[in-house]
Amino acid sequence: MNINSKVTLSNRCINLWLLLIVLFVFSCTLPPKTETEIVIQSDTNLPEQTFENEEYVMVTTAVSMPMYMNRDQRSFLRWGKARNVKVSILGPADWDVPAQINAIEEVIGTRPTGLLINGTDPAIAQVINKAVAAGIPTVVYDSNIPNANHHAFLGTDWYEIGKMQGEEMVKLINGKGKIGYMGILGMSNMEAGFRGLLDVLKKYPEIEVVGKFDSKASVEEAARISADLISAHPDLAGICGFDGPSGPGISLAVKEAGKSGKIKITTVDGEPEHLQLVREGTIQLLAAQKRELFTWYGAQFLYDMAHKTNSLSANDKGAGITSIPYHVNTGLLRITKENVDLFIK
Amino acid sequence: MIQRIVQDRIYLLIALLMVVSIITGIIFPTTFPTFTNFSQIFLNVSIDAIVAVGMMLLLISGVFDLSVGSVVAFVACLVAYFMQEANIPVPLAILLAIASALLIGLVNGYLIAYKEINPMIQTLAMMGIVRGAALMISVAGAQNLPYHFNIIGQSKLLGVQMPVWYMLLTVLVFSFLMTRTIFFRRYYYIGGNEKAAELSGIHVKKMKMIAFVISAGLAGVAGILISSRLGAALPTLGRGLELRVITAVILGGASLSGGFGKIPGALLGALFMGIIANIMVIARVSGYWQEIILGIILIFTLWLDKALLKKYSKL
Repeated sequence: MNINSKVTLSNRCINLWLLLIVLFVFSCTLPPKTETEIVIQSDTNLPEQTFENEEYVMVTTAVSMPMYMNRDQRSFLRWGKARNVKVSILGPADWDVPAQINAIEEVIGTRPTGLLINGTDPAIAQVINKAVAAGIPTVVYDSNIPNANHHAFLGTDWYEIGKMQGEEMVKLINGKGKIGYMGILGMSNMEAGFRGLLDVLKKYPEIEVVGKFDSKASVEEAARISADLISAHPDLAGICGFDGPSGPGISLAVKEAGKSGKIKITTVDGEPEHLQLVREGTIQLLAAQKRELFTWYGAQFLYDMAHKTNSLSANDKGAGITSIPYHVNTGLLRITKENVDLFIK
Repeated sequence: MIQRIVQDRIYLLIALLMVVSIITGIIFPTTFPTFTNFSQIFLNVSIDAIVAVGMMLLLISGVFDLSVGSVVAFVACLVAYFMQEANIPVPLAILLAIASALLIGLVNGYLIAYKEINPMIQTLAMMGIVRGAALMISVAGAQNLPYHFNIIGQSKLLGVQMPVWYMLLTVLVFSFLMTRTIFFRRYYYIGGNEKAAELSGIHVKKMKMIAFVISAGLAGVAGILISSRLGAALPTLGRGLELRVITAVILGGASLSGGFGKIPGALLGALFMGIIANIMVIARVSGYWQEIILGIILIFTLWLDKALLKKYSKL
């Protein structure tokens, strides 16, 4: 190969690279800078709803979690049967937010009549906006998602859950003693609950918070942490739990230490095992969510929106309004030994 | 010829992918065989596939890394911390976060290769340490990451989101390295017979350490990509990723005993799992069944592979 041919070859390479760079620059699409750009897109391109294959899809994470199955999903399925429409439940088996996002992205492509999304983490905001931009009625339940354009939210204020537990715990231990608390660390809703608890406890200088622990959504882990806490602090006054498995786990350790009723327990959820522990006096308070309402009314909102059940103007879409409530706080159930029998079915 | 095809699991996987795609395309003609759906599938597997390339390199050399999922979360949280709390410019924050991933890989590699700590124990311990660090840095995660950072994972080229292109680039680069460079080909010798490789003058310990550094580096890149795609950094990112990736790599032709596997196999394995997950979403198969079906497919593929190999090796 002579010098001229080498030069020609290197020139060709440079040209090819330049061509690739030009192609890259002109083919590259940048994401929208603000949320408004997404809204504008959604307002202009909303396709008309058809009911040929009417289907409502719920996308959650940890789809096989007993509480989700027994309450959220059962209620959603019951709603589908009552309305005589197809309902589907999708999402990863474990707590995996990116996998939930992937599932939502894939569901958008299949254009369901309505999309009911478990608000697991603020990171799902973008995919919610994508669903809204695709013209799919979208309702979020459980925890609200900031910076998302969903049409409605139904759920509980997790800060209030923490506050309710804190206020009850203060009463139970007469405003003094050592407290530990646990939940799934890293989840935004639980962190809000922790803040609610600490905001109450910090008003009582005689209360000492001995630690925040990761129950890893596991009964065994919650029991292990509680047992260690009891060993390290024999004068422990109380433990607060923020995820479903915490209640049975804490109770197990407290019972094994022979301190049932002496160490006070407040926690979340109202599953049969939780209710039984309240009845026997191991757990003093359950701050339970009305989860059945999340999915029943969430699905109903989607139905009403798709069917235009309530029109608020001559052209709601044109007026840029939706005819369903934007924010619904379903409230909390306060379950104690006094009223627990009413909740055991 | 048939024997050669059968001996390479990649061909079996391509055939399975084609059969499954054609059948699903016939059943769901409007939703499955579309550009949007396939670009979505590729996007969904891109993070797993990038991590799988590193895992393939490790499995070829006869080791594996259970800390990759935690590294993904750690790098995502660290880069967010650098940008939002320390006000470090985006490019520098990315470089520092990836450097920290490389450091994790270096520690893993050094302790496994030079101090002979069992890879499973070492990477399991590192998995816990790094996940804890991610939780400590970000608590409930960081939202609203800078726009110029989000561009990395949210821009599109030719209508396909950028992580897909990064994935293809990673696969191409490492395929080239593994097939065309003497340095990387040595990993096959190490995985095939470590003692013989050492006797032939290969610096086995150094090579193993480098493999861990590369794998952690790719996990770091994956952490940057997933957080820029989400516009958020979660300490819960990458949970269960290590097992998913090892499954994909084994499906793609690697062996836990080392010495086997090709880089495109990592992509195909991840893609196969992604397509199955996509089909289950389209067919509205509940999440309860997804794990069961993926498990059955893994066992079936490995059984088919063994059966075909047995039959045709007799020819």
